[in-house]
Amino acid sequence: MPSKPKLPNPLNIKTSKLPKPPLPPALKRTPKPVETGDDVTLGQAAAGGGTSVVAWIDERTAGSGFLRGFMFRKVPKGTNWWYTLGSATMFAFVSQAVTGIFLAMFYDPNPTQAYESMRHVNNEVFLGEFVHGMHKWGATVMTVLLFVHMARTFVFGAYKYPRELNWVVGVILLMMTMVMGFTGYLLPFDQRSFWATVVGVNLNGTGPIVGPYLADFLRGGSEFGATTLSRFYAVHMMLVPGIIGALIGAHLYLVAKLGTSAPPWMKPKDVAGDEKQI
Amino acid sequence: MDARQKEKYLREYSAMKAAGKPFFPYAVGKDGLMACIVMIVIILMSLFLGAELGPKADPTTTSYVPRPEWYFFFLFEVLRVIKPPDLVFVATLGIPNIALGLLVLLPFYDRGPERRPERRPVAMIAMLLTIVAMTYLTLLGAFAGSPITIDEEVPAKYQYGKEVAANSGCLGCHKFGENGNDGPGPNLSEIGARLPKQAIERTLDNPTPPMPSFKSMPPEQKKALVEFLGQLR
Amino acid sequence: MPSETDKKKSKYTADRGWPGAFEGETLTRRGFMTGVAMGAGGVASAMFGLPALGFALGPIFSKTEHRALLDVGSTDDFDGETYVPVVITTTAGIGQAGKTLLYIRENSKPTKKQPWPYVAISTRCAHLGCPVRYIEAARSFICPCHGGTYDFEGGVTGGPPVRPLDRFTTVVKNGRVYVGERFSVNSQLERVSTRDAGEHVDGLWQILYPPRPTT
Repeated sequence: MPSKPKLPNPLNIKTSKLPKPPLPPALKRTPKPVETGDDVTLGQAAAGGGTSVVAWIDERTAGSGFLRGFMFRKVPKGTNWWYTLGSATMFAFVSQAVTGIFLAMFYDPNPTQAYESMRHVNNEVFLGEFVHGMHKWGATVMTVLLFVHMARTFVFGAYKYPRELNWVVGVILLMMTMVMGFTGYLLPFDQRSFWATVVGVNLNGTGPIVGPYLADFLRGGSEFGATTLSRFYAVHMMLVPGIIGALIGAHLYLVAKLGTSAPPWMKPKDVAGDEKQI
Repeated sequence: MDARQKEKYLREYSAMKAAGKPFFPYAVGKDGLMACIVMIVIILMSLFLGAELGPKADPTTTSYVPRPEWYFFFLFEVLRVIKPPDLVFVATLGIPNIALGLLVLLPFYDRGPERRPERRPVAMIAMLLTIVAMTYLTLLGAFAGSPITIDEEVPAKYQYGKEVAANSGCLGCHKFGENGNDGPGPNLSEIGARLPKQAIERTLDNPTPPMPSFKSMPPEQKKALVEFLGQLR
Repeated sequence: MPSETDKKKSKYTADRGWPGAFEGETLTRRGFMTGVAMGAGGVASAMFGLPALGFALGPIFSKTEHRALLDVGSTDDFDGETYVPVVITTTAGIGQAGKTLLYIRENSKPTKKQPWPYVAISTRCAHLGCPVRYIEAARSFICPCHGGTYDFEGGVTGGPPVRPLDRFTTVVKNGRVYVGERFSVNSQLERVSTRDAGEHVDGLWQILYPPRPTT
């Protein structure tokens, strides 16, 4: 049996072998620990104190190794602006989460009150319509970014070995984002919300055998009722955001573990081996 | 990809990665700038487009024309263009779920080692077709007019006839420009060029089923309607 | 002497040559604890998971309460020639969202299939539930969403709807018209059980959309 060649294993991030972080010189200096004495200036004491706090936390969490591994891992040459779409989508999600929390402080998921509570947000709350607008248009921006990010991954062939699983996680994130769009639709409870939801629920109801049960589950009964709105609200602000958060974590872990894909037209200049043509 | 191709990819990738730059601050810097652009876009959209609410939800309406948000227009249009009742399930859940399934399973049926777009013609053509189809359906959905108004401009003397046409349910089965449903009746956008006024009036009185007869319509309304239809060309 | 394969198949740990095996023992401590860990985790998760799932799914199987008959007007308000729109409250306590619109006319010729004295037609499109409107001039119902059209009886004349418009039962008491429950009709306008929009009640397709226990 021929002995197996020893393969380089790029899938293991070894923090010890990472290069020095390219920090500005001012940050590279490690402040000395706090000393007592008359000649210690306030700045030195503060810097020393900060260092001790960080050191204290690091001693108990060993977080610096992970952070160094994550932040200073290398990214192949040629990664361009197209590679920022994923993080931009995530940023849009964070913006949605924050604006959503503040909208939830004023929103009342009750069929008789929902519309009035949103009108109150729009007309009377300070910056109300602005934050409401950020949430509404943030959904559009997030959806668009998600599709462009997916198109980039497709064109660059970045879903291929070894990143297949990350593609699957990404498509589930796309589905979850669509679910967010659909469940968020009903909440302002205007005409568009109501009829889009009627159509959306009935659409699920057209599935053979299970469809009618699915529609009843979404409505919380056989007709649009008192609990339909709170059902959509709970799904929109707890269940699906939780799933999205967890999946973004998995997505990021896989990106860090497998490395950011190189653009397909980039080729290594000096790779040892027998197949250097192409 | 077989084991040899996998090994080759990993070897090449590790070399490219080693020659690369650290994630922080190079990639993070770009990400941060992009995040700023994203937030500026969201804030500008919020400021200029606002978040105005429509009229309050009312299940008893007979005049509201439900339309989804723009990013669901392509699904909405699929529901409109697939007419046979037996295919409703295909339009509502079948096509979207098949598309989603193909998307999820992509890395499992496209397993070739080639990553350069110009050397993956099948994948690129498939993507282009998908984008064209979705754009086309989105545009159709966006311009799908209401079946209770006719947007087309007409001279003032045909205005009354236009209102009669809009309020008489013609649009339920006929198209007038962008308004109305494509079928079961023929497109009436240029009916005046194909039929003389007398023929239009005869058809209104004695139509082919399932079109209902408009014999009982008040004469002045019918006259205006025939005048309006006769000038469409 | 048992053969190699017998040894592997034996249920006694001693026969299988596992270290630390006891005579007559069929399960190791480690195997037992693995089972306990898996089982306890599963049971503990099921103890919060199943009640929560049942809670969420409960409304599907709960019996819908039979609503009292609703007075919609005097018998003089309706005739057999045209439809009169009437708003009724189907779900109490949620304001406008619990109301719905019906079109009512007199059933001039009650038949065995349609014994109701008045025809009360629901305005929910049988395709996906959009609000249809009645057009007097065409004596038709037209849906504004995906192109469904219906004739005077509510039968489909065009577009994707899968069955005629739903109806409501009606009774006359002391010169007043009362509206009862909603029901669906098939293409022959025969009464079938109440369905949601988009569910077929004709032909082979109806096998895929069985009536539900709730309604």
